Amino acid sequence: AAGAPKPLPSSGPKSLREMPHPLATSSSEEMGPALTPSPDLLLPRSIADKDLSLPNGTPVDTSSPASSSSLLNRLQLDDDLDGETRDLFVTVDDPKKHVCTMETYITYRVTTKTTRAEFDLPEYSVRRRYQDFDWLRNKLEESQPTHLIPPLPEKFVVKGVVDRFSEEFVETRRKALDKFLKRITDHPVLSFNEHFNVFLTAKDLNAYKKQGMALLSKMGESVKYVTGGYKLRSRPLEFAAIGEYLDTFSLKLGTIDRIAQRIIKEQLEYLVELREYGPVYSTWGGLEAELSEPLEGVSACIGNCCTALEELSEDMTEDFLPVLREYILYSESMKNVLKKRDQVQAEYEAKLEAVALKKEDRPKVPTDVEKCQDRVECFNADLKADMERWQNNKRQDFRQLLMGMADKNIQYYEKCLTAWESIIPLLQDKPETK
Amino acid sequence: MEDCLAKKMEITVSEAEKRTGRNAMNMQETYTAYLIETRAVEPQTEGQCAPVDSLWRRYSEFELLRNYLSVTYPHIVVPPLPEKRADFVWHKLSADNMDPDFVERRRIGLENFLLRVASHPGLCQDKIFYSFLTQEGGWKEMVNETGFQLKADSRLKALNATFRVKNPDKRFTELKHYSDELQSVISHLLRVRARVADRLYGVYKVHGNYGRVFSEWSAIEKEMGDGLQSAGHHMDVYAASIDDILEEEEHYADQLKEYLFYAEALRAVCRKHELMQYDLEMAAQDLTSKKQQCEELATGTVRTFSLKGMTSKLFGQETPEQREAKIKVLEEQIQEGEEQLKSKNLEGRDFVKSAWADIERFKEQKNHDLKEALINYAVMQISMCKKGIQVWTNAKECFSKM
Repeated sequence: AAGAPKPLPSSGPKSLREMPHPLATSSSEEMGPALTPSPDLLLPRSIADKDLSLPNGTPVDTSSPASSSSLLNRLQLDDDLDGETRDLFVTVDDPKKHVCTMETYITYRVTTKTTRAEFDLPEYSVRRRYQDFDWLRNKLEESQPTHLIPPLPEKFVVKGVVDRFSEEFVETRRKALDKFLKRITDHPVLSFNEHFNVFLTAKDLNAYKKQGMALLSKMGESVKYVTGGYKLRSRPLEFAAIGEYLDTFSLKLGTIDRIAQRIIKEQLEYLVELREYGPVYSTWGGLEAELSEPLEGVSACIGNCCTALEELSEDMTEDFLPVLREYILYSESMKNVLKKRDQVQAEYEAKLEAVALKKEDRPKVPTDVEKCQDRVECFNADLKADMERWQNNKRQDFRQLLMGMADKNIQYYEKCLTAWESIIPLLQDKPETK
Repeated sequence: MEDCLAKKMEITVSEAEKRTGRNAMNMQETYTAYLIETRAVEPQTEGQCAPVDSLWRRYSEFELLRNYLSVTYPHIVVPPLPEKRADFVWHKLSADNMDPDFVERRRIGLENFLLRVASHPGLCQDKIFYSFLTQEGGWKEMVNETGFQLKADSRLKALNATFRVKNPDKRFTELKHYSDELQSVISHLLRVRARVADRLYGVYKVHGNYGRVFSEWSAIEKEMGDGLQSAGHHMDVYAASIDDILEEEEHYADQLKEYLFYAEALRAVCRKHELMQYDLEMAAQDLTSKKQQCEELATGTVRTFSLKGMTSKLFGQETPEQREAKIKVLEEQIQEGEEQLKSKNLEGRDFVKSAWADIERFKEQKNHDLKEALINYAVMQISMCKKGIQVWTNAKECFSKM
C-alpha cells in the first residue's frame, strides 16, 4: 500500500582485494586511547582499590577513571549536562551499502567531537556496522554490570517481510544507533568506558575485538545471569517498586505498540478504499457537462488526501513504532540488571548468615563479607542513580514521541483541510453562459 | 402561469409510527405509517394561523401515487421515492426496514418526494395528488377508478428488451445512454463510499483504545501521569466523534441516491418514447401493408405472397362480390389506420416537445442540486478536518505537560 522501499546506492560487487576495507577510515592517527586516568578525576584511594568483582569472579573493569561509586556519580556533572558543560558529541550518519563476495552489509559513519583528555584527538570519524554496535553493547554489559545499558534496535529482521537495505529501514536503524550512542555519551560512567572509547576512535576495531576475545577466554565465560544458588531474603522496597514499575511499564508499551500497529493497518485499508473512491468522481465528471469541473475537483481533492494519509502512516511506522520497541527492549535489559542486583545481595546475605552460624569469636567482620557488602551498596547506588536518570530521560523521550505523534496527525488534517477549502470556490463557481 | 402547489401549501411528513394490521391475505403484518401535515400558506388575518390538516399514509400508498403519476404523465421525469429497502449500507448501519435510523431517513425522503411533486409545474395540479395529501379515506379507490393500470404499458417492465426502431430520435438515444451511465457511476460511488465509511469508522474507533491504556499507564507515573490521563480523554473524544460525522454523511449519500433513482425515471421517459416510436412505426408499417393489399385486390396483381392468394389459387378465385367486400373492409381499415397514424404522429410530436421541456428543467435542477450536494460534502469534510486538528492539538498540549 505505502510506497515501495527504496534501495540504497550500493558500492557494487567488487573483489575483496580491490576494495579498501570499509572499516579502515582515512584518519591517520595512532591507535589506542590513553588508559591512564586523568589527574582531575582521580578516585579517592579507598574506592579505587576495592577489588570489585562479579559473582563468578570476573573482575570489573575499573580502568576507566569514573567507575562504580555512588559518591562519584553525585559529583559528576551529568545532571547539568547542557550545551555548555558537554565535552563529548557523537553522531551516527551517512549509511553506505557494501557488497562483498561473502556478504552485503551497511556501515554507518560515527563522528566524535570532544575536548576530553581521554581522547588523543579532538575529532574522529570511523565507519561501523551493526555487529560493531552489538559488540560494544555486550562489552558494556560485561564491564559495567551495575549500570543500565541502553538498548540497540533489534538485531534480526524477518527476511522477506522487511527489506534490510531499503532507505526507510536503514534510516530507522540509523536513528536508533545514533540514540544508542548519545545515551552512552550522556552517561557519566559509561561515556568513560574504555571499550566505548575504542569504538569511537579505532581504525581497526576487529583487531581490538580479537585481543579482547583472547583475554576473555582466559578469564572464563562472559557474564551470564546465573540462576539458583543464593536466595534473596528481602528485596529493598525501592527495587521491588522499580521491578513492578518496569513490569507494568513494558506491558503498557506493548499494548500501545499493538494499538499503533492496528491504527496503521486500518489507515492503510482506508487508503485502499479512498484510492478507488476518488477516480469514480472523475469518471462521473466525464459524463457531465456543467458538473464536469466540480466533480474533477472533488476527485483531485480526494487524491491529495490519499497522499497525506500515506505520509502519516509512513511517519508513524518509521518514527513512532521503533522508539516504542526500543523502550520495551530497554525495560527488559533493565529487569536483568535488577536480577543481577538481587543476586549480589543474596550472595552477601548468604555469606553473612554463614559467618553468624559459625559463631566464631571474631574481632571484626571478615574482609570477604565486607567486600560483598560494598558490592551490594555500590550496585544499589549505581542502579538508583541510573534509574533516576532513566526516568527523566524516559519522560523527555515520551513527551517528544507523543507530541510528535500529535503533530503528524495535525499536519495530516491540515493538508486535507487545505485541499477541501481550495475546491469550495471551484464548486460554487457559476458556469459561463453558453 | 399558475403557482405550484408548493407555494400555496406547506407540506411536511412530520412523524413515523409503527403499526400492526392485517394484510390482503388476512395475515398479521407490521408496517410504518407516516403522518402528512398540510397547511395553507395564505395571508391570514393577524394573529391567526391556518389550521393544519393531517393524515397517515404508508409507503405502499406512496408507491401507488407514484405509479399513477408515471403512467398518467409519461413525458415527465417523475421524482423518485426513497429506496424501498436499505441498500449501500456499511456495517454499522442496519439493513432492517424497521430500524429507527432507516425510518427517519425514509421520512425525510418521503417529505422530499412530496415537495418535489408539489413544486413541479406539470404534476402539482393533479387532483389525485391533491387528494393524496388531503383525503384520508377512499383515496385508494379513487386512484383505481382512474383506470391508470390499464394504461400502463406492460412492456415497460421489461427494461432491457430491445425494440427495433428504424428511425430512433438521436437525442433520446443519447439521453437513455447517459441515464444508464449515470446509474452505473452513482451506484459505484455509493458502494465505495460505504466501504470508505466503514474503514474510517475503524480508524477512529481504534484510537479509543489509547484512552484506556494511557489511563492505566498514568497510574504508575508520577510527573507524566496527568498529561497522559488528559490526553487519553481526548483520544476518547476523537473516537466518539466519528459517529456524528458519518451520520451527517448519510444525508449526502441520500442526496446521491435520489439522483440514482432519478436516472431511472429519466430512462423511463426515454423508454416510453422508444415504445411510442416503435408503435408508430408498426402502425405505419401496418397501414402500408394494408394499402398494398388493397391495391393488389383492386388491380388483381399479386405482388406479395399471401396465404389468401395461395388458397385462392388452389381453391379457385374469389367472386367479384367477395373481392369487393374485402376491399371495402380494407378501405375502412385504411381510413381508420390513417387517422390513428395521424393522431399517433401528433401524440409523438407533443410527447417529444413536452418531454424535452421537462428534461431541460430536470437537467438544470440536477446540476443545481448536485452542486449543492458536493458543496455540502466539502463543508462536511472541512468540519471533520477542523475537529481532527482541534482534538490532536488538545492532545499535544497534554503531552507537552508530561
